[in-house]
Amino acid sequence: MPPATTRRRLLLAASGVLLAPPARAATTPIVAAASVLQFALPEIADRFRRAGGPRIRLVFGSSGNFYRQILQGAPYALFLSADEDYVLRLAERRRAPDPGVIYAVGRIVLFAPKGSPLEVDAELDGLERALRRGEIRRFAIANPEHAPYGKRAEEALRHRRLWDLLRPRLVLGENVAQAAQFAVSGSAQGGILARALAAAPTLRDRGRYAPIPSRWHAPLRQRMVLLRPEDETARRFFAHLRSPDSADLLRRHGLDPPDRSG
Amino acid sequence: MADVTALEVELVQDGPIPLAARFACRTGELLALVGPSGSGKTTILRAVAGLYRPRHALVRCHGEVWTDSARGVHLPPQRRRAGLVFQDYALFPHLSAQGNVETALGHLPRPERPGRARELLRRVHLEGLEARRPHALSGGQKQRVALARALAREPRVLLLDEPFSAVDQVTRRRLQRQLVLLRQRLPVPTILVTHDLEEAARLADRICVLHHGRTLQTGPPSEILNRPISAQVARLVDLGNIFEGEVAGHRPEAGHTLLRWHGHLLEARLRREIAVGSRVAWVIPPGFVVMHRRDRPSRGERENPVRGRIEELVAFGETTNVTMLVDGAPAPTLHFTVSTHAARRNRLAPGVEVRVSLLAEGIHLMP
Amino acid sequence: MDWEALRLSLELALWTCLLLLPAGTLLARALRSLRPGPRRLIGALVALPLVLPPTVLGYYLLVLMGRASPLGGLYEKLTGGSLVFSFEGLVAASLVFNLPFAVQPLERAFAAIPRNLREAAAVSGLSPVAIFFRIELPLAWPGVLAAFALVFAHTLGEFGVVLMVGGAIPGETRTIAIAIYDRVQALDEAAAGIMSASLLAISFATIALVYLFEPGRRRDG
Repeated sequence: MPPATTRRRLLLAASGVLLAPPARAATTPIVAAASVLQFALPEIADRFRRAGGPRIRLVFGSSGNFYRQILQGAPYALFLSADEDYVLRLAERRRAPDPGVIYAVGRIVLFAPKGSPLEVDAELDGLERALRRGEIRRFAIANPEHAPYGKRAEEALRHRRLWDLLRPRLVLGENVAQAAQFAVSGSAQGGILARALAAAPTLRDRGRYAPIPSRWHAPLRQRMVLLRPEDETARRFFAHLRSPDSADLLRRHGLDPPDRSG
Repeated sequence: MADVTALEVELVQDGPIPLAARFACRTGELLALVGPSGSGKTTILRAVAGLYRPRHALVRCHGEVWTDSARGVHLPPQRRRAGLVFQDYALFPHLSAQGNVETALGHLPRPERPGRARELLRRVHLEGLEARRPHALSGGQKQRVALARALAREPRVLLLDEPFSAVDQVTRRRLQRQLVLLRQRLPVPTILVTHDLEEAARLADRICVLHHGRTLQTGPPSEILNRPISAQVARLVDLGNIFEGEVAGHRPEAGHTLLRWHGHLLEARLRREIAVGSRVAWVIPPGFVVMHRRDRPSRGERENPVRGRIEELVAFGETTNVTMLVDGAPAPTLHFTVSTHAARRNRLAPGVEVRVSLLAEGIHLMP
Repeated sequence: MDWEALRLSLELALWTCLLLLPAGTLLARALRSLRPGPRRLIGALVALPLVLPPTVLGYYLLVLMGRASPLGGLYEKLTGGSLVFSFEGLVAASLVFNLPFAVQPLERAFAAIPRNLREAAAVSGLSPVAIFFRIELPLAWPGVLAAFALVFAHTLGEFGVVLMVGGAIPGETRTIAIAIYDRVQALDEAAAGIMSASLLAISFATIALVYLFEPGRRRDG
């Protein structure tokens, strides 16, 4: 048993080492984006780079998750939500300098992967039929708790009075991109996804989809906010996102431009 | 042998291991600690080495205080110069024999250590085996490495914990002889822990008998084996002939004390201080029991003649152990030895009547 | 193949090993010198990350290290950054969830050294530090290697806690395990497949190292 003095000295040395790992220089701003932008945003960022813009880092996830993280002090410079609510709440709680701007309006679609017995149509009649025939074992949507696209999916299903029927069959994705992944993997017979994802090249050949009437749910006005206006790169990217070029790109990916009232 | 006290030890505690030991060791002396297992011998050794702290302890070596619980002094083992040979050698398995010895040479400058280590190994007759790892050494060789390592520190006291118990008889004899030769050149006080009385008697200058951590008697082997101070000590050193008698009187002019025993009146060594009429335990070592030849009639003037019948004969090679039932009621049992040759010549067998003499100088009273 | 994520994972694993192995060794030795009662209690605490779901660990780590906590606040005051969502925070979290993987093999290795070897070393004049480096460590090194390999592999594979505490920030906290998850979500199966195979190969090689050495008897036993 070593004498007390030696032990104490060793302990001090150890704690000194523990406090000393080098700090990582984090100068490249981080953009937190709703996963619906999984395919659109990298393209926009690429254009930004080629136009001479500096490097940015993109992180995708559910809007609700990012909201929580920002409250906990996550170092994001820019937040692109899939709806308005989270951004407005951040502004309310003074975690965002302003309520930001609407950059797009989203749509949900009914999606059926290749080989599924589900017939897709805008009225969801095919879904109802398949449900009553017992052909739907699993149905994927994003988690309504913290993914705006999931919440809208729930609203639409409730409107069409299919929610209770479908509820036991639901597979909840952590965000709408994961829901898409479930829907495509073949283990679900269908799902409600973002149009921006269903229309993407990666998914287009893996199934069929039909847009769901937007009046069946609250609008998916997607808001973004510059959390660190002092960061020059972030400011430039924010401006780039509002350019007509970007709006064009978003539209091609299935995200409508903000309406006049936005 | 100088009579300078080199080591003083006093250890007292109630538990967890009871101790009430007090002894000293002189320069050049080999003191054997004997006692049954559990008598605390190893604990005492560890306390001297600094590996154990009894509640009340005083250990002084060549005047230097190693432990003094009264003053809160306890030198760690590193600061004492004690050489300890463990019962299972405790050699470092990842080092060679030379490496093992070198670990104890920290007091020498680094360049000198290999040479010194080799010299020590040579002294214990292990030259040529310096590079061997412990797993490639025999028991006797391991023991010698352990000894060399203990001696490497130029210890002021050498502590040996049952060093020969794990080897065969032949190796043991050889190691014992080497120890004796080594000590002739190194007058370091040595404490040897052993449960083997014979070994203690052969090697030790003095024996210290222990029981449950208590030192009962310390003295030269002859004293312990012939004049134990109590029946307990007599039993611990395996003296068989322990009896009880009554002091009948004293004859100072003849140098005798008279002892009444089972109808016999024996002449024992004079012990004037014992009151007449008191009951007393007494012992006679087997060597002081002399058998009368059966073919010659006994002469009455023989010392303390005693008659009886042979109960048991056990021959161990050249020596035969005899157990004899002495006439009297109840019949006490007497043990002695004769040469097997004499046993044959006298046609000894169980049931045969014999006569022995109990030599007065061997009858030792233990009041 | 997300090289940045792989590099992050390897760095995290190496830093964890570098910090945890000495700390774990000290803890393992300290545990051994305790009485059975306290030793078992602390042993159970150390073993907690083995049985707790990563989400529970992640939750409590967030509470302990978040901006609002004393620890997080102190860190921010000292360095200006936050512990959560940073690499340093991941290292801190990694030290916690890897504790049993380091301490248990180390403890076993040191416990296997007979007590009388340390005593013999002390009697031979070696200081406690010398005893540790010259006697205990050389005899315990298979255990140290096992601890290293386990911590390394386990850190490479850790997901839940890293996600909760780190936030999957590329170049900062998005380790390869998270990058794989990310690619699956993006339906980029090719990338996910390559990265998974790489992680499998590295983890297997690391664990094979443990099995190569742990049950083997040293030849000088």
